[in-house]
Amino acid sequence: MDTLARIRQLAAKEFSINPDGLDPSAPLDTLGIDSLSFIEFMFKVEEEFGVTVSDEDLKAIKTLSDLERHVAAALTAAGKV
Amino acid sequence: MAARRVAVTGAGVVSPLGTTVEEFQRSLAAGRSGIRRLAPELAERSGVQVGATVDWNPAPLFSDAEAANLDRASQFALAAAAQAVAASSLQMENLNRDRIGVCWGTGMGGAHTQETSYQQVYGAGEWRVRPLTVIMGMNNAAGSNVAVRHGLRGPFANYSTACSSSAMALGEAMRAIAAGRADAMIAGGSEALLTPGILVAWQALRTLAPADPADAAASCKPFDKRRAGLVLGEGAAAFMLEEESRARARGARIYGVLTGYGNSCDAVHMSRPDRDGQIRAMNEALREAGLSPQDVGYINAHGTATAVGDVVEAEAINAVFGPAAREVRVSSTKSLHGHLLGGSGALEFAAALLALEQGILPPTGFLDQPDPACALRHVARDAERVAPPRAVMSNSFAFGGSNVVLVAARA
Repeated sequence: MDTLARIRQLAAKEFSINPDGLDPSAPLDTLGIDSLSFIEFMFKVEEEFGVTVSDEDLKAIKTLSDLERHVAAALTAAGKV
Repeated sequence: MAARRVAVTGAGVVSPLGTTVEEFQRSLAAGRSGIRRLAPELAERSGVQVGATVDWNPAPLFSDAEAANLDRASQFALAAAAQAVAASSLQMENLNRDRIGVCWGTGMGGAHTQETSYQQVYGAGEWRVRPLTVIMGMNNAAGSNVAVRHGLRGPFANYSTACSSSAMALGEAMRAIAAGRADAMIAGGSEALLTPGILVAWQALRTLAPADPADAAASCKPFDKRRAGLVLGEGAAAFMLEEESRARARGARIYGVLTGYGNSCDAVHMSRPDRDGQIRAMNEALREAGLSPQDVGYINAHGTATAVGDVVEAEAINAVFGPAAREVRVSSTKSLHGHLLGGSGALEFAAALLALEQGILPPTGFLDQPDPACALRHVARDAERVAPPRAVMSNSFAFGGSNVVLVAARA
C-alpha cells in the first residue's frame, strides 16, 4: 500500500470516517477534525512511519497530500525508501 | 441570620517569583519573570525547553528526615500555609480548631513521588518502593499535611480540577464559612510536577511554548500576536480566610473580602475552552458579590498564552463587562510566574490581592504586540499604580471545562 493510502487508512480509523470519502486535497480543518484528535493522529502517523512531524512542519501541512509529501520526504531523507 | 462575609486575613506564597508574599509581589511590581530554560536533565528527554521553577531549599523549614517524608508539593504547601497562619496572627492552639478547616487544590498531588516510584519499578525493574509512597504521592497529601500540621479538625476538602483546582478550593472554603460550617479556613493550592515523565506528556499536547530565542524569560506571551503556548510552573499559595466580624473584632489585617465565587462547566470539549461557560462563571461571581462589572477595577486573567484560549477569554470578558470592558484593566501574570496548574488559582488570587490592597496592577509581561482579537485594556509590560479598585476578579479556566471565577472586594 502506498504512503497516501496508508495515511488515509490511519485517518479513517482515527476519525471514524470512510477512507474513500477522504479527499487528499481538502484542507484538514474542513474535515471536521477536532484539534486534540488531530495531534493524536499526528502521533500515530509518526509511529506508523517512524518519522517526526514537528510543530514547525505542521505549519506547512494543510491537507493529507501535504502530509504524504512530508512523510515521503522524511522517509527518503532517512534512507527508508 | 445575617449573611456571613469572609475576610482574607493571611497569605503565603512559594513561587518562581519568590518564596514569600513580599518577594512575589515585588517581582510582580517590577514585571520580573521567573521563567528560565530548564535544566538539561529535564529538557533533553522531554523536549520541553522552558519552565518556571522554585528556588527551593527545604532546610530552614524541615529537618532532613521531615523533608524526606514530604513530596515537593507538600513542602511548598506547608511553607505557604505556615506563612498564611503567621501573617494572620491567629494563635491556632488557642482557638476551637473543630471550627477551622482546610480546602486545598492540586492537579497532580505528589507527582515527584509517583515519578520516583515508577522509575524504580518500570525503569530499574526494582519492585520495591518506599512504604510512604502512597502517603506522599496521594492527591490530598498537601492539604492533609496542612491540616495535621496545624491541628485543624474542621471541614476538609481537596479539589483536583486541573487549572481551576485552587480557585475552587478558595471558593468552597468561602462557602464553608458563609454557611456557618467553619469560622476560619486555610485555603490554597500547590503543584510540583516538573519531572521528565510528566513534561514529556505535556510536550505531546503540543501546547507548550518553546524558548523565546532572544530571551527565555519572555517565552510566555499572553494576548500577544507572537504567543506560542503556555509555560509550566510550580509552587504554592495559601490564605487564611475568616468570618469577617471575628476578623474585625480582633483587629486583624484584612487584605480584602472574598465575596464572589462562580463555578461552571463548559461541557463542550475536554481541552478547548468555551466562551459561554466562562461568561456564566463570571456573571455568577459578580451576582453573588452584589457587584456590577464597572465595580471591578482589575481582572487577573487565566491568560495561558495559547492561540485559542486567550481569544475566548477576551471575548467572554467583553461579553460580561460590555462597555465597562473599555475601563477594566486586565493582565495575565502567567507571563511572569508560569502556569502553576492546580496551584494557579491560589497564586493568581495573591496577585489580584496586590491590586486590591495596594493598587499595584501587575502586568502581562512582554506584551509588545497585543493581538487585536484580544481586545482588552491590558496592563502591558510594566506594572501600574492606581487608586486601589473597589473590587478585583481572578479567572481560572481548566482542561475538562471547569471555570472558576473569584471576586474580592475592598475591606
